[in-house]
Amino acid sequence: MKKLVLSTLSLTLFLAACNGNEEETVNEPADEGVEEGVTEEDGEETAETESRVLTDGLGNDVEIPENPEAIIASYLEDYLLALDVIPAAQWSISDGEGVQFYLQDELSDVPTIPYDLPYEAVMEFEPDFIMIRDQLEQDMVDQYNLIAPTYVLNASPTDWRETMREIGTVLDHEEAAETVIDEYDTRAEETASLVEEQADGESAAAIWMIDTSLFVVHPERSSGAVLYGDAGFEIPSVVDQLSDDADWAAVSLEELAEMEVDHLFLISDDEESSLTEDRLWQNIPAVQNDAVYTFDSQSAWLYYGPIANEQVLGFIEDSIQ
Amino acid sequence: MEQIRKNQLTKKDTQKRLMKRLSAPHPAALILTMSVIALILLMGVSVSIGVSDISWRTILDALFAFDETHTSHVILRDLRIPRILAASLVGAFLAVSGVIMQALTLNPLASPSIMGVTSGSAFMIAIAFAFYPQSNYYQLILWSFAGAALGAGMVFTIGTFSKRGLTPVKLALAGAAVSALLQSLSTIIALHFNVARDISFWYAGGVAGVRMESVRIVSMIALIGLIIAFALSRSLTIMGLGEEMAKGLGIKIGWIKFVSTLIVLILTGAAVSIAGTVGFIGLIIPHISKKVMGMDYRWVIPSSAVFGAMLLVLADIAARTINQPYETPVGALTAMIGVPFFLVLARKEGRG
Amino acid sequence: MTHVDDHSPLKDKVFKRSLFLFLFLLFLLAVLILISLGSGHLSLTPADIWLTLTGSGTGAQELLLYQFRLPRIILAVLVGIGMASAGAIFQGVTQNGLADPGIIGIHSGSGFFVVLFLYLVSLSQDQPPVWANIGLPFVAFAGGTTAALLIYVLAWKEGITPVRLVLVGIGINAGFSAALLLIQLRMSESDFNRAIIWLSGSIWNASWATVLRLIPWILIFLPLALYKARILSVMQLGEEMAVGLGTAVEKERVKLLIIAVALSAASVSVAGGIAFVGLVAPHLARRLVGGKFQRMIPVSAMIGAILIVLSDSIARTVLAPSEIPVGLIVSVIGAPYFIYLLITIKE
Repeated sequence: MKKLVLSTLSLTLFLAACNGNEEETVNEPADEGVEEGVTEEDGEETAETESRVLTDGLGNDVEIPENPEAIIASYLEDYLLALDVIPAAQWSISDGEGVQFYLQDELSDVPTIPYDLPYEAVMEFEPDFIMIRDQLEQDMVDQYNLIAPTYVLNASPTDWRETMREIGTVLDHEEAAETVIDEYDTRAEETASLVEEQADGESAAAIWMIDTSLFVVHPERSSGAVLYGDAGFEIPSVVDQLSDDADWAAVSLEELAEMEVDHLFLISDDEESSLTEDRLWQNIPAVQNDAVYTFDSQSAWLYYGPIANEQVLGFIEDSIQ
Repeated sequence: MEQIRKNQLTKKDTQKRLMKRLSAPHPAALILTMSVIALILLMGVSVSIGVSDISWRTILDALFAFDETHTSHVILRDLRIPRILAASLVGAFLAVSGVIMQALTLNPLASPSIMGVTSGSAFMIAIAFAFYPQSNYYQLILWSFAGAALGAGMVFTIGTFSKRGLTPVKLALAGAAVSALLQSLSTIIALHFNVARDISFWYAGGVAGVRMESVRIVSMIALIGLIIAFALSRSLTIMGLGEEMAKGLGIKIGWIKFVSTLIVLILTGAAVSIAGTVGFIGLIIPHISKKVMGMDYRWVIPSSAVFGAMLLVLADIAARTINQPYETPVGALTAMIGVPFFLVLARKEGRG
Repeated sequence: MTHVDDHSPLKDKVFKRSLFLFLFLLFLLAVLILISLGSGHLSLTPADIWLTLTGSGTGAQELLLYQFRLPRIILAVLVGIGMASAGAIFQGVTQNGLADPGIIGIHSGSGFFVVLFLYLVSLSQDQPPVWANIGLPFVAFAGGTTAALLIYVLAWKEGITPVRLVLVGIGINAGFSAALLLIQLRMSESDFNRAIIWLSGSIWNASWATVLRLIPWILIFLPLALYKARILSVMQLGEEMAVGLGTAVEKERVKLLIIAVALSAASVSVAGGIAFVGLVAPHLARRLVGGKFQRMIPVSAMIGAILIVLSDSIARTVLAPSEIPVGLIVSVIGAPYFIYLLITIKE
């Protein structure tokens, strides 16, 4: 019994110590901010003369603040930047080491937030508006709502145009959103005509390689929508069959070998992969025609949004020219 | 001196006589031959099944008149055949290490997955992925061996220190606890270093995407293990009669135990390094082959290797066909077969 | 085990000792809760906590404390109580000190049903209906009961032996885990990740709503467990003795199992499969106050609550602002203790 008391006591002390250490580093800015956050909220209530109420993807009526200044819209940063809105925090994985690298020209000064949006991490940024990309449990949305009005998108996350329009509406930038889409479409037509000129009726596929695993992009999602829908490449039959409920579907080397694809956009960080020396790889038409274009996984191929897609259009043009 | 040599001779003699009495019934050789043939047929069937079915004609061509520009030929040679070889090797390795473990511990529930050996391997592989992402295949195998030793070492230590040694129930519980501990640690590592996807494969298990190169490396290491296992089979049979008796017959128990443990680690480590954690084969197969072959390990070990290979080749066919074009993890399938089997054993075991 | 007669002069002493211990644990829990309230990604000084609790904190501090930390800590306490007292009953009924509901498959049974339920709901509708969340404890209960029933039936062979029960339980656990893996792979990737985190045991998204879902189960079944504790103690004297003292053993055993499954399944439904609490807590409790379940269950519930609150504080501070599922921390603490038990136990 004595032992137990001692050990629990020492653990308690240990925890207290951990806690103490942290105070020195985190406490001050947090505290400061906490008070600011409150005064801001107070100010808003009086300032809001006519607030807009929109129904979100969970069927909740959300009061949209006017000119929100600190927005958290994790994994929607692309769309915000297209509207010239800088978010308060940006999506990240692995303790902030993994971010959306292709956006870092604009986002390099924006602090990171873990992808699963822990409540306290969200609180830290004192957002005045939160936008959520994926469907979420109502319980969690209720909790976020305590921090700031929280809006879950209606638009399917796999349809970037729809998402762009909705974000435009929510942030009261409808026209800007339409302009973004129009400009993109004009740009896409240029690419499409170039593809028609250089590679009429030819097929293409985007393959993401991680170590030895291969994934192929969904024909209507992410860069797949750009490749087939906008640039006008033909869809190889294997890609069509694999249209699972994932942006990138796992594909075996066997399926890839039988794909009969003319252009291959390979996303891989591994420069000297054993795969490219493989006999099966050598038998793919695109490899034989010297039409394999390699990109790293930090490039825009894996993402969604007008900026990502426009960069992908650029990659396609550079590749086939 | 003369006396001692005579004594040894008689020991050898008794050993021989004992082995004769224990030796398997007459059809053992026949059964073994037939199962080898069945295994080869099964592998043939497995080769022809895949995303696109390939005819027997093409298979024969690919084997004997290989054409490097013919995609089907290359698929067969570079993808399907390595995969099936891997399945049969892993099955054989796991089954044989299960047999040896059961013989060593005299414990019917001993087997690689239950004793935490496989989760030890997976844990070390998680560490390798997190801290040494540049590890090549050879290094990964070494990590896997080290992990197998870690898991087995923990369970055996628990056995050595606990009063009354490792009873079946203690063994199962120790294995469960060690697995839980190692898996929790691996998950923490995986979540923190964001290698969850790389690691989840090692837990689900499977032989998809195995390349000839890795099959070659692993098979060389592990075939040596198998051969030593066959060489030990005689001593294991005698040890099965009780350690006292084996000692009396001049068997160096400590040495045999050491070598056998090493073989278990090599076989299991090799299996995990190609196929991840595939459970229950090492539990089921030894019991089946003992039922069929009797108590003579000179027959039990080879037949376990063949039966184990058959089971995993079969499970792998199922893994590919159940939910085409997606792969079902083969570890989940072997568990589905293994659990009822385990339950039957548990009912038998739980007398006390 | 010392069986103390009701009129023994010893009784007072033992009772006092247990009461003192219980109060001490309660105090310890209170201290831990205070520490836990202050720890997290955003930290609060003890002074801040004091000010906020007395009603003069800032709005944001109140929000942090009352809406995020407090429900989470209360949930941790409730889950600890539920799992630990369920574990105590399991150990009593099976007369096996190693019968952890996490190891013998009760948790994975609940987990399997919950994940299957979530999967089916997600198939049939775009948005999970409101009743889905309230239904979860019931689904978990059904799963836990199924697992318990399977174990009981399969371990029955002219009666039940503790050893067979545990072995069969380990098998059932493996079966449900494999089945879980098969459904998980059919889920979309985000659901898959969520399922993994949930199954490892996690309370990070606790809210008052989750607390409210769990509380009725604890409030109904914990008193029942305490009420039945005397019978559990009698059962420890051996079946014949218990029958002699007028206990319908088989019937009571089933009732007690239902109570235990309800407590553990409801906890699993909000917090996922946290293993080892149901094993470690009763065991420590038995060491501290002896084998009488009337005293052992409350003490074990306290220890369970302490264990989870402690683990949760660790889970959210070590890698802050990211979080580790609390169940993993509990396993890392609990598994070595379990192994220690295995080594020292005398069967």
